[in-house]
Amino acid sequence: MKPPSVGVLGGGPWGLALARAATHGPCETWLHSRRQQDADVPGVRVTRELAELAQCRLILVAVPSNLARSVASELGHHLDGSHVVVHGIRGLSGPELTTVSQIFREETPARRLGALGGPVQADELAAGRPSAMVVASEFAEVAAAVRDALQSDRLQIQAIRDLRGLEWASALVGCLSIGIGYGQARGDVSAGLLAALISRAVDEAATIAVAAGADENTFYGLGGYGDLLASMALVDRPEVVLGRELANGVGLAEAREKARLRVEAVELVPRVVAFAKLNGVDCPIMNAIAAILDGSGDAAPITRALFRG
Amino acid sequence: MPRTAPIFHFNSERSMLVEQTIDRVCSHTRDPLHALNDAAYWEIRRLESSKRKRDQAELAEWRSLSRKLSRMTDAQRRERLRTLVATYAGDIAGNFDPRVYGLTTRILPSLVTGLLAPGSLPGKLRHPQDLLRLDAIADKVVVEGDTARLRKLAERGTLVFVPTHASNMDSIVFGFALELSGLPPATYGAGKNLFTNPILSFFMQNLGAYKVDRRLRFELYKDCLKSYSCVLLERGYHSLFFPGGTRARSGAVEAKLKLGLAGTGIESYVRSLRAGSERKVFFVPATINYLITLEAETLIADYLSEAGKARFIIEDDESSRLSRVVAFVRKLFTMRGAVVVRFGAPLDPFGNAVDDEGHSLDARGRVVDTSSFVRDVTGEVSVDADRDAQYTRELAQGIVSAYRKNTVVMATNIVAAACFEQLRQQAPGADLFTVLRIRDQKVPRDALARLVLERRDALRALEKTGDVILAEHVRDTSGGDILAQAMSAFEGYHTSPVIEAQPDGIVLRDPKLLLYYQNRLSRHGLAFDPEAPTRNPRNTNAGAA
Repeated sequence: MKPPSVGVLGGGPWGLALARAATHGPCETWLHSRRQQDADVPGVRVTRELAELAQCRLILVAVPSNLARSVASELGHHLDGSHVVVHGIRGLSGPELTTVSQIFREETPARRLGALGGPVQADELAAGRPSAMVVASEFAEVAAAVRDALQSDRLQIQAIRDLRGLEWASALVGCLSIGIGYGQARGDVSAGLLAALISRAVDEAATIAVAAGADENTFYGLGGYGDLLASMALVDRPEVVLGRELANGVGLAEAREKARLRVEAVELVPRVVAFAKLNGVDCPIMNAIAAILDGSGDAAPITRALFRG
Repeated sequence: MPRTAPIFHFNSERSMLVEQTIDRVCSHTRDPLHALNDAAYWEIRRLESSKRKRDQAELAEWRSLSRKLSRMTDAQRRERLRTLVATYAGDIAGNFDPRVYGLTTRILPSLVTGLLAPGSLPGKLRHPQDLLRLDAIADKVVVEGDTARLRKLAERGTLVFVPTHASNMDSIVFGFALELSGLPPATYGAGKNLFTNPILSFFMQNLGAYKVDRRLRFELYKDCLKSYSCVLLERGYHSLFFPGGTRARSGAVEAKLKLGLAGTGIESYVRSLRAGSERKVFFVPATINYLITLEAETLIADYLSEAGKARFIIEDDESSRLSRVVAFVRKLFTMRGAVVVRFGAPLDPFGNAVDDEGHSLDARGRVVDTSSFVRDVTGEVSVDADRDAQYTRELAQGIVSAYRKNTVVMATNIVAAACFEQLRQQAPGADLFTVLRIRDQKVPRDALARLVLERRDALRALEKTGDVILAEHVRDTSGGDILAQAMSAFEGYHTSPVIEAQPDGIVLRDPKLLLYYQNRLSRHGLAFDPEAPTRNPRNTNAGAA
């Protein structure tokens, strides 16, 4: 039996990396991209037509979070209930903190939805260096399809059921990474203190996400802690850069420029704080990050937060 | 209703349905040793606590089987399995008597009305044709929802009605509602204990009910039930499940559903597809709303007692006491709109909306090929228990959301919510049981009417956004009138007064029943919710936030 084909939607670094990873698997790989590709990816068929991409039953979506809804809406015209749609988008949308899978649920007929997360980085994946990622879906067959398409001796894929939890973990790790960049750049935050803050921050993030229906265990796994630990080493991660620049006294606008890529967490942090407040969850670290972002605080509230309670 | 629905031919098909169920259960029981051991374990456990002679004999038989099982050959075990499954399947399959059906749906309502409201009986006897008309209860049991669409869908597939469950009257009331709306009758699984209830068993036996013995907890029995239900759906028998599993003890609209039987919807659909003759299944959420509930007192007492939470089968409630049923029906039939059955929008077994033609729709309203939801990545129709369990969970979310939107708010609910709020204000921050101990609180009538009106207006705002439905008799009525309606509904049925009018105010006599009736609104944020989660149990500072 011919293995089903896999389609990647999004021609940015993350989409290209996923397409490359898929070429190591048994499936025929398609890439939908609106960009003029500088170089063709070997083994990948490029298309500009969503209808053509929809010939693939497994579709991996890797577009910026602010485009998620418009892309889903367009894609929806070409799908039916047999498609498996898995996104690798970090973010929660609007004041309701809608997850990306929920957006796909609202905009497309696809029901078998999933998300990718975890510490894997686009450049590692593209270069074929050993790495690990998480796929979450309430449907076991979604995780199986992703594993069949992407798993290799260079890419370990852990499957979990908690789709909502992984999406929240990915988004909140983005927020907390700003704090990591900030803490690392401050002379008065020692390595031990930073580690303590991170542990506390993961616990806090888990508590917030539990209020949204997530499973806290997801936060203590590859999709939460694992992802956040990568931020410790990734000096170029946009969120880390942004935090570092803010610690150095640079204004928010300039710090965002230095981060180069769009940091969605800047808008997300105040919304998460509002959500936590509404649900009666105490979140001193997220509050402190919000204060850093709006320029009303410095490192002190973060450390104070640690020693509260 | 044209008598074409498969249930009218049930008796001629009964043995075939039973046989098919037996074949199916036996063929997919992979390990008969395990299945029999499991059954023996649960049955011995159940029967050991019984003193009845018949149970003792049964116990001895199970013990002997349990001892012999390991020495039996596989063929012997399969044979034993078949005998056992045949017993269960035969026990489950019920009756449907078209004559009784006709009697109960056409004549009985008028007759009951006549008997219970003697004033009207002579008139009825002078005009015997009236006895054959349903109009007598038409204004007592109100049916709402798009029944024209359901009638169309009944011709295009199998309907599975999934109403809320508050009372043992539900299946009878729902049966009337189906008949009133020109919908085909539905077969349903009723607790076997109800068949021993002298009042209900006559209806149960003959209206297409099959027997569910809730004492039997083992997989093999559940398998028999599910297979029987699946066979019925495949054969086009419109069915009725109460997905709440049991009557809602608290009075609230169900938020958690039992999914076992609902899952057979997908299975029967997939089987029909694989057999090359697609037969669609449509789930129809519905709410059954009562101005007063027959068993309110027992149910709320049961809900409140810790032990009660584990008590699954109540043998001795109001529904088994003739005088209570008569009092209840008499009360019911003196009030217009005392029962509202409201059908929600139908769903496919995957939780998608469907159009008039029975096509599945996505969230954007596009028509989607229903079979695509059960095709795997290679495009083949597949059986995948894990996938179908998830679809069924999502279907359950759709049903729960439909319950909330289609809850019909009655005067008793609004008044109880306003009264209970008054009680809670007497003991700010106190736990539920402290509030329930507050006796004979008095509230000035005008003040209470004002609170009732405020709450009704809040509900009206919710109704505008499609989140609830107001009963006709409360939508444009004054607070005082709603209060009066509730008082007259409570009066004369419940054994002690719920609230009582005195010259200087209204006395709140029965906090438990007030809790019960206000709970119907607890999912809408307009009444105290005893089941609301602690805001965040992991968070020690939550209380201060």
